[in-house]
Amino acid sequence: MSEKYGIIKVPEELITKIKERIQGTEFNSIDEYATFVLEEVVKETGEEEPEEVFSEEDEHKVKERLRALGYLD
Amino acid sequence: MIILAIDALEYSLVEKFDCNNLKQEYYGKTDISEFSEPRTMVLWSSFMTGKNMEREILAKGDKEMWNTKIELKDTFFNGFKNPRIIDLPGFNYVKEHHEQERVLLKNYFDAKTDEEKDKIRKAYNNLAFEHHRRIKQEFSAALNDDHDLLLGYFSVADVVGHLNFGNRTMMKMIYRDLDEIAGSIKDTYIVLSDHGMEKLGMFGDHSGYGFWSTDFNELENPRITDFAGLIKEIQV
Repeated sequence: MSEKYGIIKVPEELITKIKERIQGTEFNSIDEYATFVLEEVVKETGEEEPEEVFSEEDEHKVKERLRALGYLD
Repeated sequence: MIILAIDALEYSLVEKFDCNNLKQEYYGKTDISEFSEPRTMVLWSSFMTGKNMEREILAKGDKEMWNTKIELKDTFFNGFKNPRIIDLPGFNYVKEHHEQERVLLKNYFDAKTDEEKDKIRKAYNNLAFEHHRRIKQEFSAALNDDHDLLLGYFSVADVVGHLNFGNRTMMKMIYRDLDEIAGSIKDTYIVLSDHGMEKLGMFGDHSGYGFWSTDFNELENPRITDFAGLIKEIQV
């Protein structure tokens, strides 16, 4: 049985941002990316870990680790 | 025999994202505790030769290490009549491409502003994804050729993971794609990683174990150097 699709409206500005984001990724279209992200959000049950944010301390740690592994001079 | 060699494929994410093609019937962690650090070049070199190559590779120094090129006769690939190895570090990888990645990595850490870092991160990710697509096409085409051994090495989870491992959506996208690649294989295959990856905030560091899977043998907790012998046995 084929999957049925509907239409949702999103701001054009968001569409432009998604276009930029999927460049060079495995997503072939904005629809494909939007479906993937929405599936992830709908699936969330509260037990998932939140997306991480940048911290200088983490950056310093990973830089040192990458140096130890031979990736950085 | 087909080997899906995936750099930094992380056991816990394969589980979490339920990547059934990567897991196959039997799967687990490899034991790399004999190595002082989970270094990519050391681990893949040890895999293909079937012996611990750490001392030899480290003696070259951090820069020269990346130029390692082990000859066919010194690897277990030599036991096959028509092997095809795609982009494997220490054997035939596209060195210039991986050097470019390391340059961008360095530029990222040297960048002074968030804007600059963001720009470099995007360029770094794009470079990794472009390379991934090329390797994927090459691997896909080689699946139709007549090779008694085909090994495809995929670096995207490692390269992108170093700067983005805390970005669950991006990592899931990568694992989904790797799982699809595994799903496209119709022959017997082994999935193997050199090491996994652990979260360090939004970044990723190598973890102290790798990943393996087969659909024919429970290996429990194998060492990465065990696979050369194991694959030879299967061939016989």
